[in-house]
Amino acid sequence: MLWYRSWLETRWRFLIGLAVLMCAAAGIVLLWPKVVELLPVASNLQVSGRIGKQIRESVELQREYPSYIWSQWFGKNLTNMGTMFAALLGTGGLLSQRSGGLFMLSLPVSRKRLIWTQAATGLAELFVLVLVPSLLIPLLSPAVGKSYGWGDVLVHSACFFVVVAVFFSLASLLSTIFSDVWRPLLLAIAVASAMWYLELFALPRPHYGIFRVMSAETWFRNGQLPWQGLLASAAASAAMLYGAAVSIIRRDF
Amino acid sequence: MLLKPNPSLGVPIYLQLMEQVKHAIETGAVRPGEQLPGIRPLAEELVINPNTVAKAYRELEHEGVIELRHGAGAFVSLNARGRKMTDNLRAAQSIVAGAVTRLRARSVTEEEIRRLFEAELAGLTRAGERND
Amino acid sequence: MTEPPIVETTELRKSYGALEALRGLNLRVPAGSIYGFLGRNGAGKTTTLKILLGMVRPTGGNARVFGLDADAPETSVAIRRRTGFVSEDKDLFDTMTVEEIVRFTAAFYPRWRSDLEQRYLRKFELPAEKKVKDLSRGMRTKVALLLALSRGADLLILDEPTSGLDPAIVEEVLQAIVAHVASEEMTVFFSSHQIAEVDQIADRVTIIDGGRGVVEGAIEDLRENYRRIHLVFDGEAPKTAFRAPGIVRTRRKGRTLSVLLSAGTERVIEEARALNPVSVDVIPVTLKEIFLETVTKED
Repeated sequence: MLWYRSWLETRWRFLIGLAVLMCAAAGIVLLWPKVVELLPVASNLQVSGRIGKQIRESVELQREYPSYIWSQWFGKNLTNMGTMFAALLGTGGLLSQRSGGLFMLSLPVSRKRLIWTQAATGLAELFVLVLVPSLLIPLLSPAVGKSYGWGDVLVHSACFFVVVAVFFSLASLLSTIFSDVWRPLLLAIAVASAMWYLELFALPRPHYGIFRVMSAETWFRNGQLPWQGLLASAAASAAMLYGAAVSIIRRDF
Repeated sequence: MLLKPNPSLGVPIYLQLMEQVKHAIETGAVRPGEQLPGIRPLAEELVINPNTVAKAYRELEHEGVIELRHGAGAFVSLNARGRKMTDNLRAAQSIVAGAVTRLRARSVTEEEIRRLFEAELAGLTRAGERND
Repeated sequence: MTEPPIVETTELRKSYGALEALRGLNLRVPAGSIYGFLGRNGAGKTTTLKILLGMVRPTGGNARVFGLDADAPETSVAIRRRTGFVSEDKDLFDTMTVEEIVRFTAAFYPRWRSDLEQRYLRKFELPAEKKVKDLSRGMRTKVALLLALSRGADLLILDEPTSGLDPAIVEEVLQAIVAHVASEEMTVFFSSHQIAEVDQIADRVTIIDGGRGVVEGAIEDLRENYRRIHLVFDGEAPKTAFRAPGIVRTRRKGRTLSVLLSAGTERVIEEARALNPVSVDVIPVTLKEIFLETVTKED
């Protein structure tokens, strides 16, 4: 029954997120012909400096379908929206005041079990949010005359999930500190945005950027999984979820 | 048959109940040998604590006014002690009537009469040293 | 009485930062009693109830329910398995219907009583299809009560069960509680600041003030032992302090002296007579007066 309750709590966020992401994935695939059309125009860009180099590089990535998919979906759209939905799924929870928290606490369930159920449901939904839209890509690619590997999708989805879970965990932890729904969500998104821009301008090296690990850039380029990044993300998530659990278990309601 | 006891009176609820039962017997609303409501149904009906009803019934049994038959319920006593109580009550009533009449003749108000009886019942009072 | 108390707190303390909500509360709720917990707003009633249910952690002393430690997570779950609770705000899942929340709750209690569930659904006339958030306050209270009573609990903890309800519904709620206790083996522990309802259905009471118990006992005993002694003097009332124990409050006003005592009427009368009053009256005291005199400041 707790799983059911957890589902009820998060169902709309999950379903809407799933719908949005599926449309986005389909959109990216179906836009490919348009991109091919516009590419010659883009090649004439003359921009100098490090930013210019990055822009030129990103344009180059659009030339081929696999790199187009990688940079547009795993690198950009899924990253932006996925991070946001991850934070969204992490906020609130079974014990929040609005959702009858005191009633839940009067039931013969330990707080540990409540937190565990809540986290597991959220993570499961997050995984589906990442995987299912991504699976649309190999499914729909033939419609634009292209193909994309199922294996690649699975690897990218798995890596993405492990890293984006960090923001889910951050939002969960912040939810135990702030009693309203907005602050945890906005703070998590603010942190994600800050990290994104830091990475864009400050860190040239692929290894250390959280978003580079999220999009599994090293897999895309050299077939190498970013183990360090994945482990660091998993550890960070575990630590934050543990922190959230401790915070809830010790609290007065 | 029985009225809801008033908790805001200074009188314990079980005593009020006992009085009501005795009054009901007195006036013939229940006759000797007839059954009284059970403890639980009565508590439910009057919305008072079942223990309070139980206590009232126990005291009434102790005074011989009612009998508690195990498994069957509470019944008004048939025996002489019960009837004697009724006679006693009648006698008591006329004593009180006489006292009240005499006090009224001395211009003692109703409220003061009530307080004097309360104080006397509570155990101690001294009406002396009062200016005449 | 060899049976251990259902609820027992010993020097229970709780501080929220600088605020001391409980300052050493000692409570003993015997099995099978309907126990009233009276106090003003902010006296510490809700805090105490929440500690019993493991929602709040005490900062000192201890609390035991069914002999189990209320503060340890595992035993707290065991306690809640046998306890029904209705919170002050009647917290429930607003988005569920009555039917859904009943099914949801029932899933957590192996001893759930379908017969009681049916009885109360009928008795309270609850609309099964309506969402909880669309119910009136009275209906909400009845749903919460149904959920608490149908789980086959041994203890019922209620936080101000009749607050905000109109008198007809108050009587319905009290009647349901009394009827339930009459037919099931159960202990009821409820907090209130409505003295009339405590008077009506409780057999024992604790009055809490400033985080401590100030009056405790069987209500009948309190009614029999508490007395007010009213003395009138020829001149100004003397300022002597009475040495007899059991005095709760003494008030002087012009020629009159009013003494509230919890016991030992005879001794106080003796001392009083030595002061040569014009008249001595001994008056019984209601629970309301006991409450008002013990929780308000002496002037």
